[in-house]
Amino acid sequence: MYKKKRTGVVGIVVTVIVLILLVILSNIKIENLTFVENVFSTIVMPFQNGFTMLKNKISGNNTFFTDLDNLKNENEELKQKNSELEQSLRELEIIKAENTTLKEQLNLKEKYGEYNTVSGYVINRDISNYTGMVVINVGSDDGVQPNMTVIADKGLVGNVVSVTNNTAKVQTIVDPASSVSCIISTSKDAFITKGSINNSANEIRATYIPTDAVLVQDTSVETSGLGGIYPKGIHVGTIKDVVNTKNPTDKYATIQTAVDFSKLDTVLVILN
Amino acid sequence: MKKVISIILIFVTFLIIYFLQVNFFTWFNISGVMPNLFVILVLVVGLFAGKYMGISVGVIIGLLLDIFVSKKIGVTAITLGIVGFIAALLDKNFSKDSKITIILMVTILTLLYEILNYAINAIIFSYSLEIVDFLIKLAIETVFNIFITIILYPLIQKGGYALEENFKETKILTRYF
Repeated sequence: MYKKKRTGVVGIVVTVIVLILLVILSNIKIENLTFVENVFSTIVMPFQNGFTMLKNKISGNNTFFTDLDNLKNENEELKQKNSELEQSLRELEIIKAENTTLKEQLNLKEKYGEYNTVSGYVINRDISNYTGMVVINVGSDDGVQPNMTVIADKGLVGNVVSVTNNTAKVQTIVDPASSVSCIISTSKDAFITKGSINNSANEIRATYIPTDAVLVQDTSVETSGLGGIYPKGIHVGTIKDVVNTKNPTDKYATIQTAVDFSKLDTVLVILN
Repeated sequence: MKKVISIILIFVTFLIIYFLQVNFFTWFNISGVMPNLFVILVLVVGLFAGKYMGISVGVIIGLLLDIFVSKKIGVTAITLGIVGFIAALLDKNFSKDSKITIILMVTILTLLYEILNYAINAIIFSYSLEIVDFLIKLAIETVFNIFITIILYPLIQKGGYALEENFKETKILTRYF
């Protein structure tokens, strides 16, 4: 009896550990695993070097190692130069990011200055893995009505589907039931974007693409103003990839939304 | 009185699960997929407290969830009601004492609940069907629910038998007297 109870506890502990590991591993970025690579290479490299040397000696091309000291010095110098370059690159990236943020803020003010807006916070998220609804803390008391457009600092969030006095339910553009009429910012080619079940990746699908439309990766996509819900010119996202099918009318593209819906916090509801 | 306390406890459990789902599991997830603890809760109620409690709790929880976050009121209520009903049916045919049986029930009801929910929503909102993506998410969610069931099994057993004691009348088989 005691043994059975103990086995049960061990089972639960093991399950908890496995679950935590699964969650961590499934959410970790591959770049963050470099330390594992380092540990692995530290263990493996001496053996690998030894084997390579042995192989070179046997095959007679060991002359490479005669100049080993010079190469080591050269390598050290190059490493130092490389780290200096990396440092300056990081600084440049920070400046670039700051520049982009400032530009976005400036654009946002210019872009949405014409609209009468009310700001709110996301207070509730969908509990389902297959839909993309959020609840915000502004409602009919603040002038919010169904079908009003909701935006965030980076771009389009979705539209209001229902309101109470103090809250509003927002159907985000990643919800599978959502469709938005969009255009490519540069070429003005129009298409319809639809939400996807894969909404955790912040991706939507562009469909009904004209056969002569030229879709280029990283091109900006914005609302077309058609459909009666979303005003024209609100940034939606950028083209991530284009899938060409045998039938050109079935061609579709994946669009990376400008808004990260997992981190969505502050929103603006366009009132007019 | 015991029944009232049990119902209050079910409601408190619902609130705890709700806050876990909207807060904790938004970051503690497997590839962005959360588990569905409401299915486990309704299953336990249906399995141990009987058909009527299973259906009632399923429908009420579903309605609350529909009111809180869904676009259409009724879809989650219907599907969770069905889960409660099937849980009560499973009680008649399978033993509740085995961990494996409970895990299998959670697996079946998670699959059933999500497939029904997706199908109804797809019809109402004219989704373009993404079967492969749906199945991948569903598989992850089911595995997640299984893990949670294994972890919570002792609690499920204790809570379940307490519910059974309060809601199911002890049937005295008179022929033995």
